[in-house]
Amino acid sequence: MSASTHSLRALSLRARSHFGDTTRRRGLLVAFEGPDGSGKTTQRKLFKTWLKAEGYDVVTTKWNSSDLIKPIIKSRKAVRALSPEEFSLLHAADFRHRVEHKILPALWSGQLVIADRFLFTGLARDCARGLDLDWVLKLYQPLLWPDIVFYFSVSPGTSSKRVSATRTPNYYEAGQDVTQIEDPTVSYERFITRVIREYESLAVIFNFITVDAEQSIGEQHHAIRKLFRDCEQRAWSDSNADAVAEWLMMRGGAA
Amino acid sequence: MSRPNDRLIAIDGVNGNAMTAAAKSRIAAEKKRRVGISYWDASGIFGEVVVAEDSAGRPSARTLLLLYAADLAFRLRWEIKPALDEGLVVVAVPYVDTAVAFGRAAGLDPNWLTEMFSFAPKPGERKLVTAPAALSISDRKGFVEFGCQQITGSHSGPPRRLLMRRTGAHLRTTQPRKRESK
Repeated sequence: MSASTHSLRALSLRARSHFGDTTRRRGLLVAFEGPDGSGKTTQRKLFKTWLKAEGYDVVTTKWNSSDLIKPIIKSRKAVRALSPEEFSLLHAADFRHRVEHKILPALWSGQLVIADRFLFTGLARDCARGLDLDWVLKLYQPLLWPDIVFYFSVSPGTSSKRVSATRTPNYYEAGQDVTQIEDPTVSYERFITRVIREYESLAVIFNFITVDAEQSIGEQHHAIRKLFRDCEQRAWSDSNADAVAEWLMMRGGAA
Repeated sequence: MSRPNDRLIAIDGVNGNAMTAAAKSRIAAEKKRRVGISYWDASGIFGEVVVAEDSAGRPSARTLLLLYAADLAFRLRWEIKPALDEGLVVVAVPYVDTAVAFGRAAGLDPNWLTEMFSFAPKPGERKLVTAPAALSISDRKGFVEFGCQQITGSHSGPPRRLLMRRTGAHLRTTQPRKRESK
């Protein structure tokens, strides 16, 4: 066994011990997933306000928001220079950087992290662009599973209607890189249908908690509160040990 | 990976200057065929990493390799595949082996590395440049030299020289091939 394998095993044990300690409130990771126009950002904000009132120390992380990688992606999106593989790899890099610098430090210190989109966004969009699910999933390893994934389910028609009521979807959001349709609104309708199909497969595979996003804002918010209360006492997922151990190793074993 | 492309030549190693020299030497040896060359960071991704604020946080080995793969996808799309399609011989400096060795030296799962790079066509010829990494910062032009500097720069990861040596060792032991010293 190599020294690094030995260290990773020791650090995995440390991760299990830290997150398995039931004498204190552990860090929780809650992901909000769903297509554009599903209202998840509205719900995320309401949820955060409620959690803070309940005494939780809350941190939010958004998709494609790392200080290091976001500018790289943004400049390439602006000139429409990304192939599906480059798009996928850069978003995975952004995700990894946020896991290492924002999400895991917060979880380790006992905070509740709300992720406005998580790795499932990458999976759904990349697969809708024709990439292989196994390959894309590999990019996100070692996997960090949220304690809860709320999936905001809407039809392609509702998503298209809500998005086009406020803005014209941008080139990549509309999937024009793969549909080759000139009209962004028409392209969006076509692309979001594929994205939602992928999301619905992922919802089954990964046990998302589905929220009917066609309901009123108040109904959804109260459903989320109840679902959160039902789920927050779940035991820490042991399958996260590798991701935490690698992070601890990167920091020289010190959290 | 599909079957090797005879006109794709990979030059891998840890010393960027020595690899560039090896590439030039390899190109000069081509008397009859037209040759193209593809260097790492053709996409400019790493140039942007360098100028990022310290507060953005340093990338880990895994993040750097995801970025390397994105850069390689760019090189394949804009440099390597078009040149191969035109009938040129293409020298890629570095290619996949350097990245895999760097990742292994940093303790990453070899399967993760090889599967991530599965989109890259297999080269028909592979050359290993065995020169050690440059000691002077101004001479560090290679991906491994850059990567080691990035990940050991701010916190107590594996010391830089050890990581460079390990990368070189992985390249030597895992790649049975004709070697070319500087």
